[in-house]
Amino acid sequence: MNCDELRDHYELYTLGLAADPELTEIRAHLDRDCDTCVPGVRGARELVTLIGAAAPPAEPPARLRKRVLALAAGPTPARLYWSPVWAAVAAGAVIAAVVFNIRANRTYVELSQAAAQLRSVQSESAARTRELARLNEAFAILNQPDAKQVVFGGAAPQPPRGRVFLDPARGVLLLASNLPPAPAGKTYEMWVIPKAKGSKPVPAGLFQSAADGTALHVLQGPVDVAATGIVAVTLEPAAGVPQPTSRPIIVAAL
Amino acid sequence: MWFSRIRYIMLLPLLLAIEFGESDADLVRRLQRRDPRAMAELYDRYGRLVYALIVRVVRDGGIAEDLVQETFLRVWNRVQGFDAERGGLGPWLLAVARNRAIDYLRSAAGRMRSAMELPETEYPALFADMEKELLNSDRVRRVRVALEKLSQNHRAVIELAYFEGLSQSEMAERMGEPLGTVKTWVRTALKSLRDELGTAVTA
Repeated sequence: MNCDELRDHYELYTLGLAADPELTEIRAHLDRDCDTCVPGVRGARELVTLIGAAAPPAEPPARLRKRVLALAAGPTPARLYWSPVWAAVAAGAVIAAVVFNIRANRTYVELSQAAAQLRSVQSESAARTRELARLNEAFAILNQPDAKQVVFGGAAPQPPRGRVFLDPARGVLLLASNLPPAPAGKTYEMWVIPKAKGSKPVPAGLFQSAADGTALHVLQGPVDVAATGIVAVTLEPAAGVPQPTSRPIIVAAL
Repeated sequence: MWFSRIRYIMLLPLLLAIEFGESDADLVRRLQRRDPRAMAELYDRYGRLVYALIVRVVRDGGIAEDLVQETFLRVWNRVQGFDAERGGLGPWLLAVARNRAIDYLRSAAGRMRSAMELPETEYPALFADMEKELLNSDRVRRVRVALEKLSQNHRAVIELAYFEGLSQSEMAERMGEPLGTVKTWVRTALKSLRDELGTAVTA
């Protein structure tokens, strides 16, 4: 079928109402990136999306937000997260903009433009700042002369290899290679397992490895090195688990 | 003069909220880095829309809560396949929400899937390059008005298709009308919506 014959079926397709032969034909046109049908179906999808968004407004209960956030296994955050430095920079810039605005008696649109530029700079730098902070934590542990170092995976040809560094004051640093990125819906979870008999593994954070199979993960905070028996890593559901549910991929025995 | 100064100061919080709210692209990148704060941002941005849609489909607040949670979990787990630069986060989230809710309705009623497999509509790539401001409140308001302008039968078939996931045969049976009549109503209703919304969508 040609695109003209399919044009009237784009919305039926996106609503789930298309039937053969049009259904199969539209799928075939989409599969070959048809110049007419791809934008046509996109437009139909926009219309159908708007129908969904037009559902009568309903206020979700407050507990639902907590339930959803628990999926990401993170703390309940504030709506806007700024580092103190950026908050100070932003506040300073805004105050300056206000003074300038009043003096020059210009419209608030100018203030909005200044804020947009600041946001752009902030957004780029915040990601770099976070990465730098993570690397600083890692180097801080590496630089400690009394940090305990454990090598894992050295004897095996295929499994992940690397080192674990434990610094009593700063925390645990894991450096690994040969660790393929976790599949969709999964994540790596690190565990600190005390020596004491019958002790349960203590969750030590979630992480992902890079596309080249390398990983760097830091558990910040004091750690009782003498009482630690093993640092391990397992593959777990994306939200993390309180106790391991699979065999360890990495075992670094102290 | 003093009044205009006060006006600027009063507008500050609003301007900051607008200007410092990050884009969907930034949000997607943070979700892909598994930043739990990004999940909070995602919920604050789209939670109400998702909940309203699901409640409309299942008509039960408790079940809707479970399905909202499933929706966000699915997005959290599949966001690695999403192209942050090409957008469509909100529409994708709504498509996942609709599918979760209609899957629930179908399983509760023991019905089979329609000819079009619902999960097909959830692939993130299908939402690439969609209008960035598609879900702004003005557009949504215009769609509500356009839906209200439809005749009762025309509005009913659109709602039965979208919010209940019925096929045209199932609608004909439910409404006690011939299949041909239902098909005509669906086509006419869709055309009316398209005409009414004009530039609101790019179709």
